[in-house]
Amino acid sequence: MMQRGRIAAVVRKEMIQFLRARFMLILILYMYTGEVLMCTYAMSFDVRNLPTVFADFDRSADSRLLVERFQSSGYFNIEHMTTREAETARLLNRGEAMAAIIVPPGFSQRLAEGSPAPMQLLLDGSNANTAAVAQGYAQRIVMDYALERSRASAATPLPLAVEHRPRVWYNSELRYAYFMALSMIALAGMMVGVITAAAGIVREKESGTIEQMMVTPVTATELLLAKMLPTLLVGLCALVPSLVIAAWIGAPMRGSIALFFLFSAVFLIGSMGIGILIATVAETMQQALLVSFLILFPILFLSGTVVPLESMPVGLQYLAALSPLRHYMDAILGIFFKGVGLEILWPDLAAMVLIGVALFGGSIVRFKRRMR
Amino acid sequence: MRSLIWAVVWKEVREIRRDPVTLSFAIILPLLMLYMFGSALSLDVKDAALAVYDLDKSPASRALIDAFPHSGYFVRAHEIRAEAEIAQQLDEGKARLVLVIPPDFSEKIARGQTASVQTLADGSFPPTAMVVAGYAAAIIQNYNLEQMSKALSATGHGAAHFSPIELNSRVWFNAPLKSVYYIVPGLLGVILMAFPPLLTTLAVVREKEAGSVQQIFVSPIRPYQFIAGKMIPYAVIAFLEMLMILAAGVWGFHIPFLGSLPLFLGATTLYVLCTVCLGLLISSITRSQLVAMLLALMATLMPSFLFSGFLFPIFAMPEMLQMYTYMFPARYFIEITRGIMMKGIGLEILWPQFLMLMAYTAVVFTATTLLFRKKVV
Repeated sequence: MMQRGRIAAVVRKEMIQFLRARFMLILILYMYTGEVLMCTYAMSFDVRNLPTVFADFDRSADSRLLVERFQSSGYFNIEHMTTREAETARLLNRGEAMAAIIVPPGFSQRLAEGSPAPMQLLLDGSNANTAAVAQGYAQRIVMDYALERSRASAATPLPLAVEHRPRVWYNSELRYAYFMALSMIALAGMMVGVITAAAGIVREKESGTIEQMMVTPVTATELLLAKMLPTLLVGLCALVPSLVIAAWIGAPMRGSIALFFLFSAVFLIGSMGIGILIATVAETMQQALLVSFLILFPILFLSGTVVPLESMPVGLQYLAALSPLRHYMDAILGIFFKGVGLEILWPDLAAMVLIGVALFGGSIVRFKRRMR
Repeated sequence: MRSLIWAVVWKEVREIRRDPVTLSFAIILPLLMLYMFGSALSLDVKDAALAVYDLDKSPASRALIDAFPHSGYFVRAHEIRAEAEIAQQLDEGKARLVLVIPPDFSEKIARGQTASVQTLADGSFPPTAMVVAGYAAAIIQNYNLEQMSKALSATGHGAAHFSPIELNSRVWFNAPLKSVYYIVPGLLGVILMAFPPLLTTLAVVREKEAGSVQQIFVSPIRPYQFIAGKMIPYAVIAFLEMLMILAAGVWGFHIPFLGSLPLFLGATTLYVLCTVCLGLLISSITRSQLVAMLLALMATLMPSFLFSGFLFPIFAMPEMLQMYTYMFPARYFIEITRGIMMKGIGLEILWPQFLMLMAYTAVVFTATTLLFRKKVV
């Protein structure tokens, strides 16, 4: 049976211990603020101002117009101009240029004759993603130029057959920063939940005080609840500055803030459940920390926080359904970007609750076994 | 006094052997990371789900729609019948792209006017949305070019006014554009920065927590001997880890290795020394294992992941953060590993990176020794 006085006493003890670890608090706050801010600025797959060398062997009006097109697109930054083949190779090898655009001699003459005019694009594949995106941009710039040139040269300007009106939903400027901010908030919650919960219990195990707790009338359930409360409170409070940062960088918040906090609380409890389960297995602090690390790592990366789930093998996608982080990420993207509510997000909430119940059930069973 | 170093090494080795969790951690995690980044985490867009809302239902509209799956990037997932379904498809994440063709599409094309089509992309994950939107634009443009060349030959203007440019793209250093090829050399830099410092930090701070480090300070052992003794076993583990990853990468993922292996091993030795030293530096300023681990995470793993060019290209970062990347050795090391493995270049180009790495290691080692000495006197 739970008793209010008893549980209040344990909560008080846990609260004091938690708040005394000043450095830990600073670290937690940093994860929710500094880390979020830094990552949103640093982590970007955008291709902008790609250092580019332009090798112009044609020196014609066409090639000069093409240089301008590439430069003004904003995707490429023509940092070097050359007329020597060896120079492009040297720049690519040294990593001073990551793309080379080569216009061969006779390019504009062939264009004027209407025969296919080849030109070449060399890309540094040492970041395959950058290369793939840049290739797409280059293709578009060149095609645009070809289309316009053809249209202009006809006696009566020809109309385009199809006009493309692209629109992007949820994140219309395609700012990765918005996504990253949410992703980092979720990652912070995951790390804080697992590590503080695991460390908080193993510390008592190492010093032997957990045995003392167990001979008191405090039950295992009460002890676990008291252990979790401080982390939950601090974790939820730390969300406030993260929300301010998210708003400051301009991330859209279309849904309900209350719903966001509800999901965050359930999520933090779930991640603490993982930490507590680790603590029932680990005997020393070192083991607990290493095991949490070992478990955190796949969870962090296989939950759609860095890359979307769809691009992963199907088996792993099913496995990811077991991760509270995956459901949380899904939910906060929905709340922030799409403004959807529980009517769509309830499966995520249900899954998180189920995962949490399973984790706590497991931990309590293990704890009780230890007491016998 | 060399025997004193060996005494510390021997003691540490026995502690590692007694603790199977730590050792298996050192072996399992790098392989797990290699697997995850090598095959599970991929930004390549293939088979993106396409939902089509065709209000025209004509041969012309079908020709445009068919161009999407033909490109190899899209799979037709759903036929939309009512406007409300568009939002549903995107909200539930069933479609990455919705193509809307208006009722007057074929009519306008037949009359030689410009018809419009709309694409709606799911932007909640920008890197793939960017690629998806790019593919869609290219497919539609290609359709335009085909229509134009048809129209031009029909009006008798013939080829004279049609100026096709053939853009031949070639990707150097990674011809098949495979993510694994650049992920694995980069992963070496991240993994060697993640685990060796963590393990060394914990090894020292554990003794601090238990109080046994005081006994070491009153023993005749010198600070540098203690540090060297703590370093050597973990440096050896780290070096073995590196060989393991390299072997798994080259044989398991068939990653090309173009450059010189001895140069590569030299660079790795230097880097391992550097990362282990960083771990010791962290351990000299912390007292609890929990704080040490979090600090190690934030001072070594995070920056080597974010600010090294491993996944996120440095040129795309704001200027200030670009300068910031020079503070972390992972950046230099990854430039070296990619240079040697993918480009096959050697010291003639990579010497500045080697020099920086050496300087970095020397500074960190000196700082650590000084900090430990201060505790003794």
